[in-house]
Amino acid sequence: MLFSSITFLFIFLPITLVLYYIVPDKFRNYILLITSLFFYAWGEPVYIVLMILSILFNYACGLDIGNHADDPVMAKRGIISAVVVNLAILGFFKYYGFLIGSINAILPFDIPYRELSLPIGISFYTFQAMSYVIDVYRKKVQPQKSLISFAVYVSMFPQLIAGPIVRYADIEKQLRNRSIGINKFGDGIFFFIRGLAKKVILANTVGAIYTTISGLDFGTYSVLTAWIGCAAYTFQIYFDFGGYSDMAIGLGKMFGFEFLKNFDYPYTALSITDFWRRWHISLSTWFREYVYIPLGGNRKGKRRTMINIMIVWGLTGLWHGAAWNFLAWGLYYGIFLLLEKFVYGRYIEKLPKVLRHIYTLVLVMVGWVFFSSASLADAVRYIGIMFGIGAKGLIDSQALYYFGTNWLLFIVCAIASTSFGMYLLNRVLYNSKNGVGRREIACIVYVLMFLLSLTFLITATYNPFLYFRF
Amino acid sequence: MTNKKIGIKIFKYVVVVLILAYTIALLIMTGGSNKPFKEVTKGVESVVDQEKLNKVETQSLKRYYGLNGSDYDGVTLYISTTSMSAEELLLIKAKSEEQVAAIRDAIEERRDTRRQDFEGYAPDEVDLIDSSILQVRGKYVFFVVSKEAAKYKEAFTSSL
Repeated sequence: MLFSSITFLFIFLPITLVLYYIVPDKFRNYILLITSLFFYAWGEPVYIVLMILSILFNYACGLDIGNHADDPVMAKRGIISAVVVNLAILGFFKYYGFLIGSINAILPFDIPYRELSLPIGISFYTFQAMSYVIDVYRKKVQPQKSLISFAVYVSMFPQLIAGPIVRYADIEKQLRNRSIGINKFGDGIFFFIRGLAKKVILANTVGAIYTTISGLDFGTYSVLTAWIGCAAYTFQIYFDFGGYSDMAIGLGKMFGFEFLKNFDYPYTALSITDFWRRWHISLSTWFREYVYIPLGGNRKGKRRTMINIMIVWGLTGLWHGAAWNFLAWGLYYGIFLLLEKFVYGRYIEKLPKVLRHIYTLVLVMVGWVFFSSASLADAVRYIGIMFGIGAKGLIDSQALYYFGTNWLLFIVCAIASTSFGMYLLNRVLYNSKNGVGRREIACIVYVLMFLLSLTFLITATYNPFLYFRF
Repeated sequence: MTNKKIGIKIFKYVVVVLILAYTIALLIMTGGSNKPFKEVTKGVESVVDQEKLNKVETQSLKRYYGLNGSDYDGVTLYISTTSMSAEELLLIKAKSEEQVAAIRDAIEERRDTRRQDFEGYAPDEVDLIDSSILQVRGKYVFFVVSKEAAKYKEAFTSSL
């Protein structure tokens, strides 16, 4: 079930909220768990069993490791087995087809294998569960004794299928006791509507342009058409993913939770390093905490730091999908992060801001080509066209048509992807002299935003879910 | 070690065994295959009643399902030889999970449209549509509306 669907907005969410608020406090986690399992089973009736087994396994691992807190050898065995089993599940369901397929590509014969579809959200809930068992091992958190609370943590529907990756340590107390109130609930609604509008109005609309352009034959692209297509995807992925994160944060607030922000105007970044401090923050934080630092981080010399960075970014790429283009996308960022760290980072800091923005945006846009392409070969070909190799001229009538019909949308997207968009909204919603919110105006603005989103949702046929491969 | 601690350890191992058993069951019951599309199609076509169903061009997928046949690894579409029958058979090998989801949505839509087409004057055909079979095995999507749907499905699964 998608957040941006009529079923979710008018049936699932209202029923869940009513049930959640009419039951006594002590039963709220039960409601959240039952509705979350229903939410997941709606789209993945087969794989709900896998998620439940994963919950049971990690719950038992947490208790087992906690039981051996004063026995380092046994605790270490416990954490190793927990991590190995989690990675084996993720590896099998996500990467085994890719692995055998890659081997088959170089062998003169095919190894037969049975292909399984990828369980939605498996990367998100597996990473969440792993953060829990690792933090129990590190004694940063106590093992969760309540199976219901732990199951709620792993399966909570607001962040289950598209993140953010919530670390157990950040949410431990809220699983027991969380504050709910009219202001927080209202804030949650505003977050949710903003996210819905980003997804339905901006991401879907600009995404339709990308879908049209990416469907063209390679021989028909001019340089400008390729860049317009790339820009469309650049905005689509941000408003889609950022929109989902806002909706998740908003839903969390409606149920009394506080999730950390996942995006911080990434397209305003001044370097690639800065970009990754702002894009999918929960994933970068996870890899830093549970992979980069345990590998030694930057504490073991320059050479080892470089290796660690490339390992982390290779894994980050593969986390997004089991395909060579995702690996290339991750390594591409690894290389630029290394260059900024060891080669030219201090020089670009001296450049005018506008040049730093251009530098970052061009690299990010080229990066999205690896991410969005069907294969690595397609990505390389598309990037070639963006720089004139194999292009049908610099500008053609097709490019002018796409530009002429969509320039206003691109300007709206550009404004909305910076803090200036939020500044404009806040100018309307808050009194600029005393900072007091204008409640009535806020309600009108958000109701209009919601109605407009609904109109788009009902009339448009293009409403993709981009995270099947995550 | 107390009984409770031992109990948790045993429970952990039992869950691992359950995960293994579940995965094997999934592979047997829902797993697709990397067999070439032609080979799977051949298996399905061996049981198709050519008098009732007529093989149409891949381009017809756009007309009936709103999908581009060239986007996929393979498409086989059979439509009833008569407009009075709802029988049809579709086999597609998708390239990605996203495509599988889009194909499923298109099939659901097609099923609704066909039900509306026959509602009111051909109740037998509506029953046939309601008992149609949609099966996803890995990246293979199989859909059949037929009195012999079970036989076609059997041919599909055994050809994987």
